[in-house]
Amino acid sequence: MAEHRLLTEHFGMEGIQTLAGYERAGGYQGLRRALRELTPDDLVAQVKASGLRGRGGAGFPTGTKWSFLPGDVHPRYLCVNADESEPGCFKDRALIEGDPHQLIEGTLIAAYAIQAPIAFIYIRGEYFDQRLLLERCVEEARAAGYIGRGILGSDFSCDVIVHGGAGAYICGEETALLDSLEGRRGQPRLKPPFPAVKGLYGQPTVVNNVETLSNLPHIVLRGGSWYASLGTEKSKGTRLFCCSGHIERPGTYEMLLGTPIRELLEEECGGVWKGRRLKAFQPGGGSMQVLLPEHLDLPLDMEAVAQAGSALGAGAMVFMDETTCMVNVSMRLVDFYHHESCGKCSPCREGTYFESDLMHRLERGVLAPEELTTLSDICDNMNGKCFCPLGDTATWFVMSAYAAFRDEFEAHCGAGRCPVREPRAAEAVA
Amino acid sequence: MPDTRPVEQPEDGRVGVTVDGRAVRVPKGTLVLDAATQAGVHIPVYCAHPKMDPVAVCRMCLVKLSTSPKLQPACATVVSDGMAVETRAPEVVKEQEGVLEFLLLNHPLDCPVCDRGGECDLQDFTQRYGPPTSRFPITEKVHFNKALRLSDRIELDQERCILCWRCTRYYEEITGEKELVLQQRGVHTLVATFNGQPLTSEFQGNLPEVCPVGALTHVRYRFVSRPWDLQRTASICPECSYGCNLNVDSRDFEIKRFASRDNPLVDDMWLCDRGRYSFPRWNSTDRVRRPLVREARGGVPVAVTLAGAVAAAARQLAAVREERGPGAIAVLGSPESTNEELWLLRRLAREVLGTPHLDHQLERFAGLAPAEHDLGIAETEECRAVVVLGEEPEHRAPVLRLRLFKAETKRGVRVHRLPAGTAPAQAVEAVGTGPGLVGVIADETARAGAAEIAAALAAAGATVKRLTVTRGPNGRGAKDLGVTPGLDAGYRAAAEGMSGREILEAAAAGRVGALVMLNGAALAVDGDDRDLLERALASVAVLVAVESRPGPVAQSATVLIPGHSLMEKLGTITSCEGRVQRVRAALPPATATATETGVLSMLAGALGSTGWPSDPIAVHREIVTAVPAYAQAGNGGRALFRGAPA
Amino acid sequence: MSVLSAATRAEVERHRDRYPQARSAVLPSLWALQNQIGHVSPEGMREVSEILGLAPSEVEAVASFYAMYLDRPGGRHHVLVCVNVSCGLRGADDIVAHLERRLGCPSGGTSADGEFTWEHTVECLGACGGAPAMQVDHHFHENLTPERVDAVLEAVRAPSARAGGDRS
Ligand SMILES: Cc1cc2nc3c(=O)[nH]c(=O)nc-3n(C[C@H](O)[C@H](O)[C@H](O)COP(=O)(O)O)c2cc1C
Ligand code: SF4
Ligand code: FES
Repeated sequence: MAEHRLLTEHFGMEGIQTLAGYERAGGYQGLRRALRELTPDDLVAQVKASGLRGRGGAGFPTGTKWSFLPGDVHPRYLCVNADESEPGCFKDRALIEGDPHQLIEGTLIAAYAIQAPIAFIYIRGEYFDQRLLLERCVEEARAAGYIGRGILGSDFSCDVIVHGGAGAYICGEETALLDSLEGRRGQPRLKPPFPAVKGLYGQPTVVNNVETLSNLPHIVLRGGSWYASLGTEKSKGTRLFCCSGHIERPGTYEMLLGTPIRELLEEECGGVWKGRRLKAFQPGGGSMQVLLPEHLDLPLDMEAVAQAGSALGAGAMVFMDETTCMVNVSMRLVDFYHHESCGKCSPCREGTYFESDLMHRLERGVLAPEELTTLSDICDNMNGKCFCPLGDTATWFVMSAYAAFRDEFEAHCGAGRCPVREPRAAEAVA
Repeated sequence: MPDTRPVEQPEDGRVGVTVDGRAVRVPKGTLVLDAATQAGVHIPVYCAHPKMDPVAVCRMCLVKLSTSPKLQPACATVVSDGMAVETRAPEVVKEQEGVLEFLLLNHPLDCPVCDRGGECDLQDFTQRYGPPTSRFPITEKVHFNKALRLSDRIELDQERCILCWRCTRYYEEITGEKELVLQQRGVHTLVATFNGQPLTSEFQGNLPEVCPVGALTHVRYRFVSRPWDLQRTASICPECSYGCNLNVDSRDFEIKRFASRDNPLVDDMWLCDRGRYSFPRWNSTDRVRRPLVREARGGVPVAVTLAGAVAAAARQLAAVREERGPGAIAVLGSPESTNEELWLLRRLAREVLGTPHLDHQLERFAGLAPAEHDLGIAETEECRAVVVLGEEPEHRAPVLRLRLFKAETKRGVRVHRLPAGTAPAQAVEAVGTGPGLVGVIADETARAGAAEIAAALAAAGATVKRLTVTRGPNGRGAKDLGVTPGLDAGYRAAAEGMSGREILEAAAAGRVGALVMLNGAALAVDGDDRDLLERALASVAVLVAVESRPGPVAQSATVLIPGHSLMEKLGTITSCEGRVQRVRAALPPATATATETGVLSMLAGALGSTGWPSDPIAVHREIVTAVPAYAQAGNGGRALFRGAPA
Repeated sequence: MSVLSAATRAEVERHRDRYPQARSAVLPSLWALQNQIGHVSPEGMREVSEILGLAPSEVEAVASFYAMYLDRPGGRHHVLVCVNVSCGLRGADDIVAHLERRLGCPSGGTSADGEFTWEHTVECLGACGGAPAMQVDHHFHENLTPERVDAVLEAVRAPSARAGGDRS
């Protein structure tokens, strides 16, 4: 089996959603060790040495991020980004359901490393049962002395607050998350200042993804250099890949970084469903560019995928079989960005609306051929010009699909229907 | 550490940048946008506003910087040394077209019926930077409310809104009120009030000026005019003593609106609604137009020439002086007169008629001293703390509230609002002891309390400066120039005389032989005062009045000479902080007779004192010679009397 | 008459006191309001704003930003069907069509019997591994077929409906 179980080791284990079950599986030993044996600075050094990079999408080195906090400004805050709303993404949900205390332990370790008196877990509103589960686990951990004053007899105190969102993808962007957490409209903030300097309530703040933090107990227990021995040169450790679309076994699979994508598809996901052939896939979530079957031999490595013109992003893999209409898929994604645009900046707010209008008309087969030029032109006017990456990424999939499946886009123009999903009608006309 | 700075780099806190090849040096921390302005390069903006923090949401100002691979917003990016800014690079030009295309997607294109047509940044930039045609099907536009009344003053057209956030930031950052907010999100975002309730702010009139397009407009300016048909006159708001600068926009000899005129030291570009919407009263055609003379009280008014009226006035006044002595004559100006008029009125009273009974308002000013006028409006931002006594100051001069809010939120000044009767010890407790500048702001009636508090704060270690909010647009000028009992120009002691109220009371009791009134109707506005005024008018035998409006004064005058309104003349007025500012004629005079300074000069001549200046400029020259603080103030500066004899 | 019940009021106060700044309690307080009355009404928002020391406009500005706060009353149960890519690839459109037929109203509407308000969401629900998926009253139901949709709706409708997600 190519799956490499580190974070998912205890998934499915009896009672793992309870404190007792987690402790039976060796839980909270990482926190215990951190508090007893490591100073916050040691911890930052360990995490730097591990080479752990953020799992929220951008892949920023976690230890380095922590070290940006100005030395003498307190209080500082930790925010756990459990907003997971990228299309195709459900690995953080899996981590919360599969091993909730692992996340809480990782959260406390990070809070200790940056000396935060409060850690907020910002979880998307749709993860309702998952929020209740986390709240219950936090109370258990509090009762057992893992959360609160003088944790495990140390002089470190930390509260954990689980904060539910209410339906807005943009709140996953770290500064929008902060505004949302402050009780405002969740819209991204102007940077600089960066959250590390001026974040929640104007104080130094670290925002980290659920999966990033879930790694910490393991790094503390087994050491940064052990972690750094896993994976590739620049992509260390394992990652959870949530796989969906036209595959036999959709689900979340933890893979050692560096493993070929083909192995993930064929061995874990059971290959393309119904014995069909792969047409395309999207490796990092809805924001990322489309890749083709020829890219299946790429390793699960951030740099390698980036070189192929896409990104591992948040670890979502959406596979599409030969019957898929790329215009239809593009349209759904463009609709998503249009729906989720916060409206703050004009290129994103109006551009996604324009894009969506064009894509719907293309999908219905009523777009004029020259309007495809308009489509790429407005995407060009958005990409790199928006206030935050949401507006930029709203153009990435559709533009990459247009480049890779130009014929398909063109065939839709004036066809009066979808030539991919209704091919016979198209032939009849031809 | 060795100094590694290059030698040719002058350490003046400045950095050198080029904008489209033009080199400028600007202070560190300057925004690219401002550096470009300094280099004479125009960058189009929508969301950026000189009085608000950058938000960089419209993306109209993106420019190419040598320091960044991506285009960056000029409105929110700080320059760095050696940075090269390109505002006309091909990718910038393309992006500008792109943003304009986006902004116009859901815009109704109703310029022909929009009040902002001709002064709309969307219209202007589209012509200058915009795409030639729209590629977006008009049938697909998102529709919103048009002509939504936000209040009886402001209308919102949600379709025209380009979501620049200026209006909501105006509320949040400038007024601190939260009436107008953004609701919904994405392309459905709109500007709205809670549950559709009307706006109540007393500063909402600034909204149409803050809005770069025609989304927010004045109800009272609806379909009134195009900007190019308006005649603009720079002047000063006549409503209160704060001295907000404004433009009087008129057309066909009628004022159509007051528009703000940024003076960072005074109004910071904001007007209050009371001032802004006060313009209709200056359009009133109900005016005194011709000189009239009654030979005796209750006699038949006879129309005369101005010369005839002046001669009659001189005759009547001389007779009273002859009969009952100069002390039987009293002179009343008003805080609505210019410095030049007040100056001649003072000369007339003190030098020609020889009476000490001279005032410009009803209240008596015990302990009036120049020290109570030390603190400048903008100086409040430099204070460690400011004490505001009672609600009167901010009620009388509303824009003061915006300044204090700015001082509080942007400069960290602590503002303590204490009741008017607060004991000095309590004020010290609130402010805390220790050094630093502390401002004390009060209304004239709280003068004594303010003085005590100032003294106590000074004793507790602070440097204290006071600001007294005076009445009328020029109550301060009247005091500076000695139109008050017991104090002559420059706060020099003069023979004690009756205050305005005492004059009216004495007149009502038959103890005043003759009354000279310049704009006297402005003195008594509320009920009790009006009563007193009317009783006084009924009992005085000789009433020489220069008056612009019909009313009790005009009706009772034995000599009535038409006056000019503040919108019809040139002169200076002095705001409560001592700023000497120019008012200008925005309307032609309603009467053909001479202006007030001319009339006063003629009257002095008829009473035997000749050679007086008659035009405001010559009078002003006389003032600056006699009152050094006014010479120092110049036009638009502050007259400071520090150290003047009390 | 106050809109907020004593219990909801107490919950809002508890949230207010929990955070370093009261304003942070806006989202949880709106949830408390919606849990009580089924949506966020202007009067309810005004009461929340008073407890939190905010202007009512600020609360409404926030409430209207987030997709999950409902601005008007709906049916007893709320059904949310994902139509984003992964669900779309695995037949979400059929589920949408089925619901439309089954509940007799378009997306955003409420069934005639007042039981269900349903809508499709273009925001991915995070259930792509079990696509096509929906949520009923916040609980996930995955690997949907028209038959399973019917079964779920029936179970919810029945008084003995058991709470808790079902991910089979
Ligand atoms: C539009 C947008 C949405 C995002 N959504 C998420 C999200 O749902 N979860 C997440 O962890 N990071 C998300 N991110 C990335 C965060 O901004 C941030 O980089 C991340 O939480 C940092 O954590 P990490 O360093 O542990 O990856 C998003 C970014 C953008 C621009
Ligand atoms: S109403 Fe005017 S000021 Fe307000 S957001 Fe719209 S365009 Fe900007
Ligand atoms: S003016 Fe700079 S982004 Fe709007």
